Amino acid sequence: MDQIWPRVWNRRQMLRNTAAGFGSVALSALLAEQSRGEGASSSNPLAPKAPHFEPKAKRIIFLFMKGGPSHLDTFDPKPLLQRDDGKPLPFAKPRVQFAETGSLLASPWKFRRYGESGIPVSELFPNVAQHADDLCLIHSLHGTNAAHGGALLMMHTGSDTFVRPSMGSWITYGLGTENQNLPGFVTICPTLAHGGVRNWGSAFLPAAYQGTPLGNASVPSDQAQVRYIKNAKLTRDVQRTQLDLLAELNGDHLDDSGPDQALEARLDSFELAFRMQTEMPEVQEFAAESPETRRLYGMDDPVTADFGRQCLLARRLAERGVRFVQVTHSDTAVQWDQHSDLKVGHEKNAREVDRPIAGLLTDLKARGLLDDTLVLWGGEFGRTPTAQGKNGRDHNPEGFTMWMAGGGVKGGYRHGATDDYGYYAVEDKVHIHDLHATLLHLLGLDHEALTYRYAGRDFRLTDVAGRVVTEIF
Amino acid sequence: MIGNRVAQRRGFRSGVIGAVGIMTAMLSHAAAGADEPQASPEGVAFFETHVRPILVEHCYSCHSEDSPRIRGGLVLDSKLGWEVGGDLGPSVVPGDPENSLLIEAVRYEDVLLKMPPEGKLSDQQIERLVEWVEMGAPDPRVGDGAMPSEASKAKGWDDPEAIDLWSFQPMSDPEVPGVSDASWPESDLDHFILSELEARGLSPAPPADRRTLIRRATFDLTGLPPTPEEVAAFLADEAPDAFDRVVERLLASPAYGERWGRHWLDVARYADSNGSDENVAHGNAWKYRDYVVEAFNADRPYDRFVVEQLAGDLLPEPDEPEEARKQLIATGFLSLGPKVLAEPDQQKMEMDIIDEQLDTLGRTFLGLTIGCARCHDHKFDPISTADYYALAGIFKNTRTMDSFETVARWHEHEIPTAEDLARKAEHEAEIAEAEAAIRRLTEEANARLIAEGGEGFTLPEKPESLYPEETKEDLKQRQDALKALQDEAPEMPTAMGVTEGEEVADLAIHIRGSHLTLGEVVPRRVPTALARFGSPEFSASGSGRLELARWIADEDHPLTARVMVNRIWRWHFGNGLVESTDNFGVLGTGPTHGALLDWLAHRFVEDGWSVKSMHRRIMGSKTYQMSSDPDPMAAAVDPENALLWRMPIRRLEAEAIRDTLLAVGGRLDRQVGGSLLTVENRGYFFNHTSKDLTNYDTDRRSLYLPIVRNNLYDVFQLFDSSDASVPVGDRESTTVAPQALFLMNSDLVLRVASDLAADLLARGDRDDAGRITLLYERAYARPPSAEETARALAAIDRLAEAWQSDGGADAMDEDALRRESWTALCQVILAANEFVYIR
Repeated sequence: MDQIWPRVWNRRQMLRNTAAGFGSVALSALLAEQSRGEGASSSNPLAPKAPHFEPKAKRIIFLFMKGGPSHLDTFDPKPLLQRDDGKPLPFAKPRVQFAETGSLLASPWKFRRYGESGIPVSELFPNVAQHADDLCLIHSLHGTNAAHGGALLMMHTGSDTFVRPSMGSWITYGLGTENQNLPGFVTICPTLAHGGVRNWGSAFLPAAYQGTPLGNASVPSDQAQVRYIKNAKLTRDVQRTQLDLLAELNGDHLDDSGPDQALEARLDSFELAFRMQTEMPEVQEFAAESPETRRLYGMDDPVTADFGRQCLLARRLAERGVRFVQVTHSDTAVQWDQHSDLKVGHEKNAREVDRPIAGLLTDLKARGLLDDTLVLWGGEFGRTPTAQGKNGRDHNPEGFTMWMAGGGVKGGYRHGATDDYGYYAVEDKVHIHDLHATLLHLLGLDHEALTYRYAGRDFRLTDVAGRVVTEIF
Repeated sequence: MIGNRVAQRRGFRSGVIGAVGIMTAMLSHAAAGADEPQASPEGVAFFETHVRPILVEHCYSCHSEDSPRIRGGLVLDSKLGWEVGGDLGPSVVPGDPENSLLIEAVRYEDVLLKMPPEGKLSDQQIERLVEWVEMGAPDPRVGDGAMPSEASKAKGWDDPEAIDLWSFQPMSDPEVPGVSDASWPESDLDHFILSELEARGLSPAPPADRRTLIRRATFDLTGLPPTPEEVAAFLADEAPDAFDRVVERLLASPAYGERWGRHWLDVARYADSNGSDENVAHGNAWKYRDYVVEAFNADRPYDRFVVEQLAGDLLPEPDEPEEARKQLIATGFLSLGPKVLAEPDQQKMEMDIIDEQLDTLGRTFLGLTIGCARCHDHKFDPISTADYYALAGIFKNTRTMDSFETVARWHEHEIPTAEDLARKAEHEAEIAEAEAAIRRLTEEANARLIAEGGEGFTLPEKPESLYPEETKEDLKQRQDALKALQDEAPEMPTAMGVTEGEEVADLAIHIRGSHLTLGEVVPRRVPTALARFGSPEFSASGSGRLELARWIADEDHPLTARVMVNRIWRWHFGNGLVESTDNFGVLGTGPTHGALLDWLAHRFVEDGWSVKSMHRRIMGSKTYQMSSDPDPMAAAVDPENALLWRMPIRRLEAEAIRDTLLAVGGRLDRQVGGSLLTVENRGYFFNHTSKDLTNYDTDRRSLYLPIVRNNLYDVFQLFDSSDASVPVGDRESTTVAPQALFLMNSDLVLRVASDLAADLLARGDRDDAGRITLLYERAYARPPSAEETARALAAIDRLAEAWQSDGGADAMDEDALRRESWTALCQVILAANEFVYIR
C-alpha cells in the first residue's frame, strides 16, 4: 500500500497539458512526416500525422441529408414495388418499427439509366445523375435505430447509446489537419436537435478535435459564422497591440512559474486565434468566385442558393486543407422526413440539393480535387417501401442507400442490394460500423488501430465491429 | 455467391452488439437452462470420441475462453458457446447441418468463412461433424457456466482474499511516518508528504505569501476571488490563527456550497436537459441541485448524503417536512442520466437506463466501472457479469420511468409543502361548494317543474331545456365558473426521483448484454469480490436500494471513503492522490501516496464523514500552504509534481472564470437557488427547426445557468466543463484557440472590460497609477510592481494610438478614446494567464 505507483502519462494527459488548439505552423511543418505513436510528441494536436498506410483520400465532404431520404425513390429502383403497389408486404416487418405502416407504396418517380455504367437514378436527381459514372452506390447500408436521434448519433459517432467521439473528430485525431489557421473539422449549418453537438463533438478525445460549427440549421448559410470570430468593436491594430501586451504579461507569469506546457500553449493560442480571425472570413468571402462557378452551385436560383452556398463553402474549406467538412441539408424541418406527402416533400428537397451537389462534383473534378476528396452522400436511414398513412413512408434503418464519389472509390459502381421491395439489406450488407471502417481505410487509417485510451480502455470509432468494404475501391 | 450470407449475418450481429455497447466480443459462460434434455450416453460417447478432439485440435486456439484473443466472438469449449454463437449468430442448429454455420465453415463453402483457416479438415472429419449435428449435437459440456462464471473463477474472483487490487483491500490505519526535517510539518498530513519527498531527496517549496494564500483559499472554497478588502484584512491580521479564521469564514459563506456543490454535480452528471436523442428539459432538476448545495453548506455527513441519493425515498420519514421533501429530491441522482427517450425497443430502453444508473453509481461512489460487466465479465476488475445483473436487479425493481412509450416519461415525486396542501384542500373545498350550489339549483328547478307539471308529468332525463330562462342563464354561469375553477387546480410541485417498482424479482443475465438472449437468473447481491466487507440480505419485498445504499455508506467499505477523500484532494490540488478519480480499478492510476489516502479516509470516517472537517485538515497543512515556486532540481526528478514539492498551478474552471469576470466587473448577482430555465418541464430546447430556446443572459452565478446537454453554454463548452452525460471527477484543462477567441471577442468579456474601465475612471480619488493598482488588486489580488504600472500606463498610450491609426477612433472625443483605451487594457488584464490560473 505504501509503495509509490508510477504515474503513467498517456497521450491524453500529455495533450491535456499541451493542446494548442488550432496548432502551430512551425511545429506542424516539422512534424508533418513524423508518425503517430510513441515518438510523436508534438505539442500541437492538429499537426498533420502520417496515416497508417497509403491513403486514397485526404479529406471528406459529407453531404448529410437529414431526416432520411427514401432510397426507393432516388437511387434504388424496385420493379416489384411498382408492380405490387397497394398489396401487403409479402414478408415480415422488423420486430421493432418506428410506426405502423400499411401496404406497399409504389414510387411516384420514374428511373432512367445514366452514363456508360447505366446506373439508374430517379427523376428527383437529374443533375446528380449526370455524374453517374463517378458514383459508387452502396445499396445495402443498414443500422439498428429507427428514431432520428439514435440514428443520427449512430451515423455520426458509431453509438446510439453512449457518448462517443464523432467520426470527424476521430479523423482529425488520426490525421491532424493540413491548414493550421483553420479548424480541422468544420460542420456547416448542423442541426442542434437529435444529438446536436454530440454529432460533431469530441467526447473523450481532446477538445482540439471537436468539430467547429458554422452557424446552425436555423441560420441561413450566408449568416453562418464561427463563434466569436469577429470583434464588432476593436480594430485589428488595437487587437494587435493588446496581444503584444498580453504576451509580455504572460511571459512574466511564465518566468515566475517555471516551464509549463499549458502556460506556453496559451501564449500560442492567442496568436492562432488572431490568424484564424483573418483566414476564416477569407474562406467565406466568395468575391473571387466567378459567376459561372456560382451558377454551377445554383447560387443564381433562390431555391438552390442556400444549399449551393454551403457546397461552395465546403469546396473552399476542402481546398484549404480542412480534413472533414460536413454540409447538412436541413434548414427549417427534419428535411427528408416524409411520413406523409412523399411526393411534395421529396420533390422540394431534391430540387434544393440536386444542382448544388452536381455543381460540387463538377467543380471538384475540374480542380483536380475529386481525386483525393471523398464525397459522401446520405441520410441517417432510408424509408419503408410500405405506406405510412396515405402517401408517406416511415423510417427504415434496415436497408438504405448512400453514395460516395471521388477519393479513390470505383465510379459507376453499385455495391450490395436490398430485397425485391427494398425493405431489408440482403446482399453484401454494409453496417454503419462497416461504413466507418471503410471511410477510415480510404483515408489511410486502420479502424482497429485508431484507438484512444479512456477510462481504462482503448476505444475505436467502430467499437468492436467494422469490416472494410474492399469491393468498392 | 460472394459471402452474402456471412456478410448479412455479420452485419446483423454487429448491429445488435453495437447497440448494446459490448466492449469486447467475449462470451461469459452463463449457465444453460436447467430444463435442458440430457444428451444420451451414445451421443456423449460420439461427441467425446469424434467431435471433442477435432474442436480441441483445430478450433480451441481461437475459439475458447483460454484463447489469447477470441475470434469472431465465438467459443466452442462449451455447449452454450455454439448455442449463442459468435458475431454471426448460433454456430450449430441441432439436427440441421445444412443450416449450421459450423458445417458451412468447415466445408469451405463460403469465401469469407473457411474454417479452420490453416487448412480444410479431412472429408472424414467433416462427415463426423455433420453426423454429430444430425444427431442433435449432443454435448455433455452443460453447466460449465455455474455462477460465478468459469472465467471469473479462473481469475480467482470468487476468492476475495486472492484479489490483489489495492482498492479492494481493507483500509489500513497507517502510522504517521517519521521525517528528517521535523521542523517543517505542521500536521500529521505533512509527514506523509514530506517523507516521500525526502525519500527522493527533494524538499518542499517555501510557504506561499499571504496574498497568494488567500487568493488560493478563496477560489478553492468559494470559486470567487477575494475582494481587495478581504485581502487587506488578512494582511493586517497578525494573530497566529489568522488563516484558520479565513478558512472558517469561507466555509460559512453560502458561496462555499455553490462551489463544492458544483463539484459534486460533476460526478452526479447533473443536467437540466436529457440530451441524447430527445433533448427535453429536466424542469425540476434544479431542486436536486439546490439540495446538493444545501447539503454541502450544512455539512451533511457524507454517508447520509450517499444513502439519501440512492434511497432517500425508503428512509424513515423525518419529522421535519422540509427534510422529508429533501430525501425524495435527493433520489433525483438516479434519474438525471441521459436516456434514449425515443428508443423504439422499450425493453432495451429500460436496460439502458438501468445500465446508466449502475455505471454512474459505480463511478461516483465506488470508483468502479461496473458498466463494463454488462456484456462480459469485466476485463480487468473483479466484477463478473453475474455481479452486474445481481445489482441491475435492484434497479429493475425500482421505478425510474412512468412510461417507456415514445417519448418516454421519467417519474417525478410530488413534494407538496404544507402550504401547497392547504391550497389544494382549499381549492377542492371551493369546487365542492360550487358543485353543491349547482346541485341545489337543479334540484329546486326540477322540483318546481314537477310541481308545475301536475298529474302525469315525468321529469325528462335532461330537464335543463325546460327551466326558465334566468335559471338556465344562472346554471350556465355557474357551470362555466366551475369549469374555470377546475382548470385552475393548484399544481403540486414535483421533483425527479425514483420510487419502488410494482414487483420485486431477480434479473436474468443478459448474454452479451442483449435482452433478447437471457441466461440464468441471479439473485440480488453485492459483487462477490466485495462481499467480505458486508453482504446484506436483500429483502424480498423491496427493490433492495436501501440495503445497497447502506452497504456503500458503511465505514468498512474499502472504496467509499477512499474515493471521496480523493475527490476532495483533487478539488483542492488539481490532481487526486489517485489521479483517475473515477476509476479505482486495475486500469486506474493507483495512489501516489497510498498510506496518506488511507490515513485521510480513516480521519474522514472518524470525523463523522464531515467534508468541512476534511477541508480544515487539508488547508491547515503546510503542504497546502506551500508556494508554487519553480525548482529546477525538483522538476528534473518529478516533472509532474506527483510528490507535491510545490503547490500545483491550476487553471480556473469554466464557472469560476465566468463568475470571476462578473465579480471583477462588479456585476455578479449573488442571489441563491431557484431555476433559470426558460423551457417548461419536458419541453424541448431544440425542436426540428434547431431554434435555440436556451437563454444565458443573466448575471447570476454560473452554477445557476441551465446545463443543456448536447448544447452546453459556450463558456462551459470552451473551458472544459463536461457534457454532463457521464460522471467527471477530474475535469480537463485544455488550451485551445477558441478560448482565445472568446476572450478577445465575446460580448461578455468586452462588457466586463468596459464596466471595469468605467469604474476605474470614475475613481476621482486616484490618479492613473492608482487606478492601475486597483485594477491589479481586483483582478490578481495583488498590487502591481513599479515596472508593471509603468508598462500598463505606456500600454494605454499605445492602445490610444492604435485606436487612432486606422480610423477606429474617428468618431471619438478625447474622453471616449481614453475610456476605450482603458477598456482595451482591462481586457488584456482579464485575458492574461494570471487571471485564469491560481497558484
